[in-house]
Amino acid sequence: MPIPLAPVGLQHFLVLGTALFSLGLFGALSRRNAVAVLLSVELMLNGVNVLLVAFAKYTVSAEMLAGQVFAIFIITVAAAEAAVGLAIILAIYRLRRTVQLDRLDIING
Amino acid sequence: MDLTALYTTIAFYVFALAAVVSGAAMIVSRNMVRSALWLVATLGSVAALYLLLSADFLAVSQVLVYIGAIMILMLFAIMLTPGQVDIPTQARGQQVAAGIVAAAIFGISVSVVLSHDWKLRPDVFDLPTTWLLGTLLFSTYVLPLMIAALLLTAAMIGALVIARED
Repeated sequence: MPIPLAPVGLQHFLVLGTALFSLGLFGALSRRNAVAVLLSVELMLNGVNVLLVAFAKYTVSAEMLAGQVFAIFIITVAAAEAAVGLAIILAIYRLRRTVQLDRLDIING
Repeated sequence: MDLTALYTTIAFYVFALAAVVSGAAMIVSRNMVRSALWLVATLGSVAALYLLLSADFLAVSQVLVYIGAIMILMLFAIMLTPGQVDIPTQARGQQVAAGIVAAAIFGISVSVVLSHDWKLRPDVFDLPTTWLLGTLLFSTYVLPLMIAALLLTAAMIGALVIARED
């Protein structure tokens, strides 16, 4: 265990990133509002980004900044995902007047 | 411990605590607008943590792209779906199950993180990264960069088509 106020190292950031990821996972599974689920997914992506940047700084790798490059691509994908996700949510809202996930059973037939 | 390390440690704990607390507040607050604003606080703290990890470019892109663009998009979505700001969370049973899954993943990952013998870099890595990242993106990672550009274009066109009023 990292003792409190030990010099901050890789493991501190890894534990933090994992905590953010788990919080986001809990939110994505437990919220009923579709927009809240999207927000939780953003939190999960951020947790992963913290891990990648921490690895880029602290661990040995062939390419020095590969972790940060990967984090940039994750931010790009998050932007694309948010745009398409919100467009889908708006379209569904127009159709059903709700974004409550357990009422969106159109696909059930 | 020298003074810089002390400041780094204090900054880490302040921003890590801020990120986790506002993340938790985002998950529990039922009002969507408050949820979104708590997420902004989390994203800002994560940007500060990027600075601690000597990722200056990423810290600024985090503020510009996440806080500046994505969160505005989210707030628009919240405001364009009136009457949906205050939806209750899932039933108690699913919440307990979600808590168990998230806690299990957290526990397993933390135990792996703390027990694994990471290959640490011997030298301290502390460089301005913008120039290096630009060089990397347009040499080694030029194909992924072009694919990302295509993805963004496709996503924008797709979002327009899906959200259009017929």
